[in-house]
Amino acid sequence: MPKRLWMLFCRSRVGRSIFRVGLPTSNLERMQAAVSSFVLHIHPAKVHARTLKFSTTLGLGLISLYLFIILAATGALLMFYYVPATDQAYQSMKDLEFVVTAGQVVRNIHSWAAHLMIVFVVLHMCRVFYTAAYKPPREFNWLIGLGLFLLTLGLSFTGYLLPWDQLAYWAITVGTGIAGYAPLVGDKMKFILLGGHTVGQAALIRFYVLHVVALPAVMVILIAIHLWRVRRDGGLARPEEPEPTPQQMPAIALPQTKTYGLMELARGTTPSVGAPADDLVFTWPNLLFREILIFLFVFALVLVPAILWNAPLEEIANPVYPPNPAKAPWYFLGLQELVSHSAFWGGVVVPGLIVTALAVLPYLDRKPRGVGVWFSGQRKVAITIFTVCLLTMLTLTVIGRWFRGPNWALQAPWKPYVAAEERRP
Amino acid sequence: MSEGTGGNLNRRDFIRLTFGWAAALFATGASAAAGARFMIPNVLYEPDRRYKALKPDDYPEGVTFIAEIRTFLIRNGDKFRAVSAVCTHLGCTVNLSADGKGFHCPCHGSQFDENGAVVSGPAPKSLPWPAVSLSRDGRLVIDASQQVPPSQALVI
Repeated sequence: MPKRLWMLFCRSRVGRSIFRVGLPTSNLERMQAAVSSFVLHIHPAKVHARTLKFSTTLGLGLISLYLFIILAATGALLMFYYVPATDQAYQSMKDLEFVVTAGQVVRNIHSWAAHLMIVFVVLHMCRVFYTAAYKPPREFNWLIGLGLFLLTLGLSFTGYLLPWDQLAYWAITVGTGIAGYAPLVGDKMKFILLGGHTVGQAALIRFYVLHVVALPAVMVILIAIHLWRVRRDGGLARPEEPEPTPQQMPAIALPQTKTYGLMELARGTTPSVGAPADDLVFTWPNLLFREILIFLFVFALVLVPAILWNAPLEEIANPVYPPNPAKAPWYFLGLQELVSHSAFWGGVVVPGLIVTALAVLPYLDRKPRGVGVWFSGQRKVAITIFTVCLLTMLTLTVIGRWFRGPNWALQAPWKPYVAAEERRP
Repeated sequence: MSEGTGGNLNRRDFIRLTFGWAAALFATGASAAAGARFMIPNVLYEPDRRYKALKPDDYPEGVTFIAEIRTFLIRNGDKFRAVSAVCTHLGCTVNLSADGKGFHCPCHGSQFDENGAVVSGPAPKSLPWPAVSLSRDGRLVIDASQQVPPSQALVI
């Protein structure tokens, strides 16, 4: 019944003016639907059958995109109540928690989606690396992806300060302190970032504007280019295929009374009308419905923890007393661990080298070996280096998260966690 | 425009191109410079670097933490000294160590001795000692914009 009503609407004058094609019934209409709709024309009318296979990408990029959309939507909702002033920010967090209907859950979704987005962006990057999908002609898209990764971190970092709780305040104090160690421009950069010498009102409003306007705007533009390039660079990376050997079509005695077009003529013993040629399948419904399914999965993935666990909110920011130990958010704990050894080497040199190495990777490693193949045996060196770096970062994060106690001293995670006594007369 | 003339530019095109590019570059550069300068505030609504504390006799013997300016005031009989409690590593507030003779940073584990010099940890510089002076109405003034050696004290 709803389908019939929909068809009826699509056939009306108004319906036709909006949707050029209704629910497609033939392959021609499926093609037209994908091409003529603004939302759907991101896709080509047909995609390679490999695209549909889950193991090709594990859907990681799409999941990251969905998380960004969820973040944008919940972020816009939060903006209705949040006030970026040092004396009101924390109160608006409390309002969201206790006064606003569904305020807590919206904040939880925003928080969980942000954490998950970092996870999935990193996983997506790993997928692209391990399937060698960054090699020519996709090297520039890898660069844009790297930019998107850094923007994701930047958005998380700027969003972190906004609740104006202890965690926020001291994480930002430490983070901007790291920026201050950059050579030559460090001090100036820190001053501009904070709008002063310390984390205060000027810093809060700057981080707020970066978080809700500047960074998302750049992000949207880069995402658009990223997706556009996926198509322009020939869809998902896939292994070199041997040219399809033209099959001998056995002569078929066609009745001379009919006229046949060559449309949709596939290889085989009969001209099979309606069957796709080659390995291409129609975007509608194959890819489209899978994408919608993945969105439902992502939404569930965010909603379940958001209902079960509240986003953390510590005491209101106290510019005098840092919590002991003062820990950065988990995705910066590897960095904090490095910084605890040396702010300049750990906070500037190592991250700088990592980003530079990732940026030049597709321009150095360009031999088309192992493209589209997971963990190709032809790329042992590259895969080993990448994996070692990844595991190192992971280990540092684990140490920072579970093995660091008060005063940042090493301690076993099962030891009772006692906050260090404050010794100030 | 006479294009494809083998690199020979006539005077009119030369002037056009020169002025066109100069104007475009100037507009871009000036906008970028103004935008960057815009981000540097000219007025800071931050507390004064000079802090007027209580009278000398209001402070007990030993170390007192003045929270407003994150500074330790050290009284040794009639001698007054002050040392910043802001860690030189990344700006956390240091604690007095257990024996009271040094400072510990809770964030990244830097340790300083009683003179504020780095003992261990990632801190790159020793803790600064702001100048302590006496105001006309007999109160202590701690001036973070002036740095003195650890041994220099205000003698009342």
